[in-house]
Amino acid sequence: MMQTTLLLRVVQADLLAPTLRRLVLEAADGAHLPPAAPGAHITLTLPVAAHGKPIRNSYSLVAATGQHYELIVRRAQRSRGGSHYVHDQLAPGAVIEATVPHNLFPLATQARKHLLIAGGIGITPMLSFLSALRARNARVELHQLAAADEVGVFEGLLGLRAGDGLHVHQGRAALDLADLLARQPLGTHVYTCGPASLMDAVQDQARALGWPATHVHREDFGAAGGEPFTLRLSRSGQEIAVDGEETMLEALERAGVDARSLCRGGACGECMLPVVEGTPDHRDHFLSDAEKASGLLVMPCVSRAQCATLVLDL
Amino acid sequence: MSDQGIKSRPTYAPISRDATGARHLLVLDTTQPPAGAFAEGTALEDFPERWSVEAHSKAIPSPHADDLLHGFRSTSHLLIALRHRLAQEHMGFRLYAIGTESFLWDVARAAAEAGMGRDEYRLLAAGSAARRVYCVHCRTMNEQVTTNLVTCSACGANLFVRDHFSRFHNAYMGVQIDAEVPGETLPIEELYP
Repeated sequence: MMQTTLLLRVVQADLLAPTLRRLVLEAADGAHLPPAAPGAHITLTLPVAAHGKPIRNSYSLVAATGQHYELIVRRAQRSRGGSHYVHDQLAPGAVIEATVPHNLFPLATQARKHLLIAGGIGITPMLSFLSALRARNARVELHQLAAADEVGVFEGLLGLRAGDGLHVHQGRAALDLADLLARQPLGTHVYTCGPASLMDAVQDQARALGWPATHVHREDFGAAGGEPFTLRLSRSGQEIAVDGEETMLEALERAGVDARSLCRGGACGECMLPVVEGTPDHRDHFLSDAEKASGLLVMPCVSRAQCATLVLDL
Repeated sequence: MSDQGIKSRPTYAPISRDATGARHLLVLDTTQPPAGAFAEGTALEDFPERWSVEAHSKAIPSPHADDLLHGFRSTSHLLIALRHRLAQEHMGFRLYAIGTESFLWDVARAAAEAGMGRDEYRLLAAGSAARRVYCVHCRTMNEQVTTNLVTCSACGANLFVRDHFSRFHNAYMGVQIDAEVPGETLPIEELYP
């Protein structure tokens, strides 16, 4: 059977900034790590004490070799505990479980130019892109948006050199997205990672300028919470409360339901479930607009409910 | 020995203007598009910028880059100018081509080399259905083939013209018809006038 999980040991952990922690990981048994293409992520299983079940968080690989995986994790302000665990508990020597790398954010091989637009910690997949694109001598332009106190950190991570097409901007207003997207040569692919509002703005602006959807790529991680609601499983009759700070998928897992999942960010489609009754609040990027409007399917990793009770065919 | 159902054979739809595009260029391998070239509700005037092939030694494209209408001596002439244009274009551009299949896929190759995706250009076959046939045995292109069988101009093999179209070679594949049983062949028919 194909190996799906890895045991990883923390080799090195350091703070890049008060809220940014870099982890270097190796296989706990010293074996070679599976290869990971630029843009790939792994999902860590984090035994957070407050929750009955461990939390699973996905992080982009900043770098990946046969010996090491490297991650950068931001301590989230509204955290369910996962990023706090990474910051407070994972010291060198600690061993954690992770999935093998998956890639939902691959580089387009046909692109004539790669335009990278990241906000904050959205820099992580871009760092793996940059190494790969530099090695290929590909044409690349990067725009990193950063809070005032982190401009220096990101400049350091990117290793800025004059004339290399990399730019760090302080705050959203410092980047004119419409102008940037309007002057891109034919054959450019744009990749964006960061807050949903930034990625939506890139996507909307690109569409308005006539970019085809095939040339616009985004990486979605992390679901924002919302109002609590109740899940009812039509076959077993089981009722599960989904609280405001957890996802539907986590609630299902907590209740011991064997739910499939992969990216846990609304991108891959693996966790899709049929809806019997109730109106989903769709937050994924997998279902088409028509499928969302039909209300027959839901992606429990990010989507929620617009009603008090959502009934699933489970 | 029927080739029906080979999926690599391209299919085409009448041209309509892609409303999501910001700039549009129509290229033709003739001077006028044939009847039925455009989808309902679309007309030649929807493409103010048009490049056509006049197939005449006196044809000279306008030296003014801002002019919207240009006439070229040949498709080769047009394709060279098109490559220059694509190299200077920006995202939001849409390309449309109407003409014989070999012209269309020459245009498609220029578009792909410029990094355009399949959603950024539209093609419609019009005019002669004659095929460019690639001899899979000696790799020679045989032009203007209108029949189901053709003798390869280089190696003399009696080729059956398959519906198998290679976008890479911009040609239909020709395979020796009696390779299995020497002498076993088909009556010649004019299928691609």
